[in-house]
Amino acid sequence: MPSVSKPHKTNEIAVSVRDLSLTYTTAIDRRPTLKARLKAMGRGGKQTRVINALDHVNLDVEYGHVLGIIGTNGAGKSSLMRVMAGIVPPTLGRVEVYGSVSTLLALGVGFNPSLTGRDNVYLGGLAAGMSREEIDTHFEEIAAFSELGEAIDAPMRTYSSGMYARLAFSVAATVRPDILIVDEALSTGDAKFKEKSLNRIKELRSDDRALILVSHAMATLLDVCNDVAWIHKGKLVMRGEPNTVINAYREFLQVGKSAAIDEDV
Amino acid sequence: MWARRTFISEYSRSELREQHFDSAFGQLWLILNPLLLSAVYFLLIVIIRGSSDSTRYAHLTATLFLFYLVSNSLTGGVKSITAGQRLILNTAFPRIMLPISAVVIAVIKFLPTLAVFLVIRSILGLAFSWEMLWAIPVLLIAMLLALGLAITISCVNVYFRDITNFLPYMNRTLLYLSPILYEASDLKSKLKTLELFNPLFPILDSWSRALVHGQVPHISHLLIALGWAVGIFLIGTYFFLSREREFAVRL
Repeated sequence: MPSVSKPHKTNEIAVSVRDLSLTYTTAIDRRPTLKARLKAMGRGGKQTRVINALDHVNLDVEYGHVLGIIGTNGAGKSSLMRVMAGIVPPTLGRVEVYGSVSTLLALGVGFNPSLTGRDNVYLGGLAAGMSREEIDTHFEEIAAFSELGEAIDAPMRTYSSGMYARLAFSVAATVRPDILIVDEALSTGDAKFKEKSLNRIKELRSDDRALILVSHAMATLLDVCNDVAWIHKGKLVMRGEPNTVINAYREFLQVGKSAAIDEDV
Repeated sequence: MWARRTFISEYSRSELREQHFDSAFGQLWLILNPLLLSAVYFLLIVIIRGSSDSTRYAHLTATLFLFYLVSNSLTGGVKSITAGQRLILNTAFPRIMLPISAVVIAVIKFLPTLAVFLVIRSILGLAFSWEMLWAIPVLLIAMLLALGLAITISCVNVYFRDITNFLPYMNRTLLYLSPILYEASDLKSKLKTLELFNPLFPILDSWSRALVHGQVPHISHLLIALGWAVGIFLIGTYFFLSREREFAVRL
């Protein structure tokens, strides 16, 4: 992941998404079982359903830009992020990534809740391909930024959702990747930490880095982004200058500039 | 894959630490558990059945401990993918590292039991011989089989989550179908076909021959065992790798 690579020029393409479609089959049951499958055999009921998450999306992200992604729930925002991060392979089309990607998809770290925060940071980093030395050098900074204090050595099942989010954000923001993808992870955490993480995002907004932010907080996006893309039902509806796109989106939602979409970071 | 070996070692270590195997009593438990197990069967075989043959008891402990290596790999491996959900949904990494880590943990738990067995063996006064070294290839075959089984079952569990509930019964059946509570030579000739259909049969028989009796195991048995282990490993790995990309949307 975040190996030291040659600096990228502004406006150089970071991620290129070409004609991307994503279709996947998923189990209808949350917990697919052999028993359910055997019972359904007699009745011929379907066990899976097909989801068209993305439909011919074209999107370029340049270095030096902060791209905000908006859309209603289930519009395909998270699917797009997962494909860009290489977690889910695309069904059609291609995604080219020029640089190292770090993802902070909804509460990324902490895959084993019974392990401590420290163990989870190390395991997450090692799984993502970092070396132990790299994590060692970043760890103090991560711990300090998250302000978890002694809780970093407590099992993660004892964490509150805010603490989870803090640790996740700290990891993603500290390792300084070329391309940072943040998926709605800023919405938890108290006001103080929100401000702190917002400041960190502004800090990371440098010429040789690309940031992609998925959020429902329009105020934040207006504040940070210089580019916004609106996705609806798997299709890219509009892309361009933040004010224009966000206004169009608000009109679409017919909620106008109400307090509800503004208040959350 | 090799570059990610630190993940596997770190994962196994923190998992063991979480199960408290880094404390003195935790490590004591690693030894105590097989000792208690063998004590139960000692009661069954030597006291209740009244067999005074010391090799019988040695055979029982040796094969039981190796059996637990395989069955621990299965119980650890079955949930490895479904439990790693958060990591799988958020990071791109070779998913096969999760079942491999489960087998590494089972092997780490197995090593102290091997030491316990060697102590039991000396107490029983059985002579040590060079033929016992045949146990090494047998152990390697058993580890390969355990790995193949863990990889396969972790993948199957993504599609059928109730495999986890069947597993204890499968393990128990496998235990009774394997030459652990009896020796392979005790079996009626009608039941000899078991040797062909249970991959653990030739492995445990060879293990006992080498380690307990100090004999050279049947080469045919070793070849059958190797065939099973390589076959299950290759099929399981192929199955896993071809399905791996789908895990993120199936969890």
